[in-house]
Amino acid sequence: MKVDGSPGLTPILEVQDVSVRFGAVQALERVSLQIRRGEIVAIIGPNGAGKTTLLNVISGFYHPTAGRILFEGRDRTHLRPYDVAALGIARTFQNVALFKGMSVLDNIMTGRLLKMRGSFLLEALYWGPAMKQELEHRAFVERIIDFLEIEAIRKASAGRLPYGLQKRVELARALAAEPKLLLLDEPMAGMNVEEKEDMCRFILGVNDEFGTTIALIEHDMSVVMDISDRVVALDYGRKIADGSPDEVRADQGVIDAYLGVSHA
Amino acid sequence: MLEILQAVLVGPVKDMIGAPTFLVEVVIGGLAAGLMYSLVALGFVLIYKASGVFNFAQGVMVLFAALTLVGLMERGAPLVAALALTMVVMGALAFAIERVVLRPLVNQEQIILFMATIGLNFFLEGFGELVWGSNVKKLDVGIPDSSFTVWGVQVNRLELTAAITAALLVAVMAVFFQRTRIGRALRAVADDHEAALSIGIPLNTIWIVVWSAAGLVAIVAGIMWGAKSGVQFSLSLIALKALPVLILGGFTSVPGAIVGGLIIGVGEKIAEVYWGPLVGGAIENWFAYILALAFLLFRPQGLFGEKIIERV
Repeated sequence: MKVDGSPGLTPILEVQDVSVRFGAVQALERVSLQIRRGEIVAIIGPNGAGKTTLLNVISGFYHPTAGRILFEGRDRTHLRPYDVAALGIARTFQNVALFKGMSVLDNIMTGRLLKMRGSFLLEALYWGPAMKQELEHRAFVERIIDFLEIEAIRKASAGRLPYGLQKRVELARALAAEPKLLLLDEPMAGMNVEEKEDMCRFILGVNDEFGTTIALIEHDMSVVMDISDRVVALDYGRKIADGSPDEVRADQGVIDAYLGVSHA
Repeated sequence: MLEILQAVLVGPVKDMIGAPTFLVEVVIGGLAAGLMYSLVALGFVLIYKASGVFNFAQGVMVLFAALTLVGLMERGAPLVAALALTMVVMGALAFAIERVVLRPLVNQEQIILFMATIGLNFFLEGFGELVWGSNVKKLDVGIPDSSFTVWGVQVNRLELTAAITAALLVAVMAVFFQRTRIGRALRAVADDHEAALSIGIPLNTIWIVVWSAAGLVAIVAGIMWGAKSGVQFSLSLIALKALPVLILGGFTSVPGAIVGGLIIGVGEKIAEVYWGPLVGGAIENWFAYILALAFLLFRPQGLFGEKIIERV
């Protein structure tokens, strides 16, 4: 399968024949896919299919044993995570990775670190351009806080928040970096129905308002069908389907992977 | 029985009240010694906060810094030039440690990093002696080890200078780590490596900054201790005194390292002077460890450490 719902869009990220191996385990095997500018792509698959590995390879936490990754047409297979972030790829983690000791506001401000410039001395004295810069970044962060509706908890310590809100703060931190590509690892895991609906709304809103390209891993199929423009299915480290939500849902390989198929 | 209680509880308190000037002198002496412990503990805290590594080599870094300074001065360099050069050397050391020790071990277990710092400990010890020799050296920073009197209280010039320097150093670091972008990045790294990487913080740069800062602290500690008791191998053993300070203050807290050091410094001096005669002296040698043991039993996170909460 290789049809897609929104033709005419240029790829922002290309994964070409990527394999990842950990010792004897082949986590990804010759996976190729494209993420196109402005779309929302869902990556689905049973547990252990290699979804998170794929995300880790794209964000530079793992390096592929074979294959290439192109971001905006440039080869960036072997970049490190912080270089990847500097290119404009932000991510969240399956098990929320917040700075638990810091306030929500400080957490989100760290997302702006790459955008900050200037002299440490001035920053230490909180004077002149440094103060102006800090205030500008604060203003931007406040916009994100408004957008994600977390005004009430901005001074709270991140580690003490309930899980659903932590996920939202993590999203806010990723957005603070103004990414071109946003990678979300199970943004709705462990949430109740209402929290899921909120998160869906935010993801669609980010895509709409900021034009951010989004790739997300999700297990809840109704969510996937609702918000994604395109779905990529993985199983045992291989890509088994790639197309519009309806096509992938109807795909026999995907159904077999999820329901199990008798090999009798 | 009553006499024993009398001797332990009442006698020393009577002595304290009876001679308040002397008590103040004892406390000042304790604070001065405590600040020295704090300085060494601060080096541990900086590195532990940023990388979760317990740097076994911190004590030897103090020795190494002092050796380098004295060595340069022996070869005719004036104090200021020698100090500047020593800073360069400690910076280069931080850079080398990041390259050779930390970078290849990234994402390894904490215990492996700890073992690596034990290796570093022995290397620095040997390297320092190889370059600068193993004789006891006198470090003269131009401040006499003598006292003057304020309101009837004796104050040691060297200790006072040490105290002011340490306070300044701590203030500068606090501002740097609280206010600047590097400081924010550093707190982020300390909190969660993965998340820090994902928002574009280069771990390697942060490590170099932190080890350099620990090196700077080592220089100051080395000068202060060296000027007091000479630059010699036993300087590296003051790291042992920093351990109870860390347990008291909490491994992750800069103010904790300062306050912990002061408490131990004052506590051991007072215990030695007022209770020492009852048990035949030498309380100073074990007081800190007993106090640390009590803390481990009742407040393992220390005075200022992050409370250990396990989400289940």
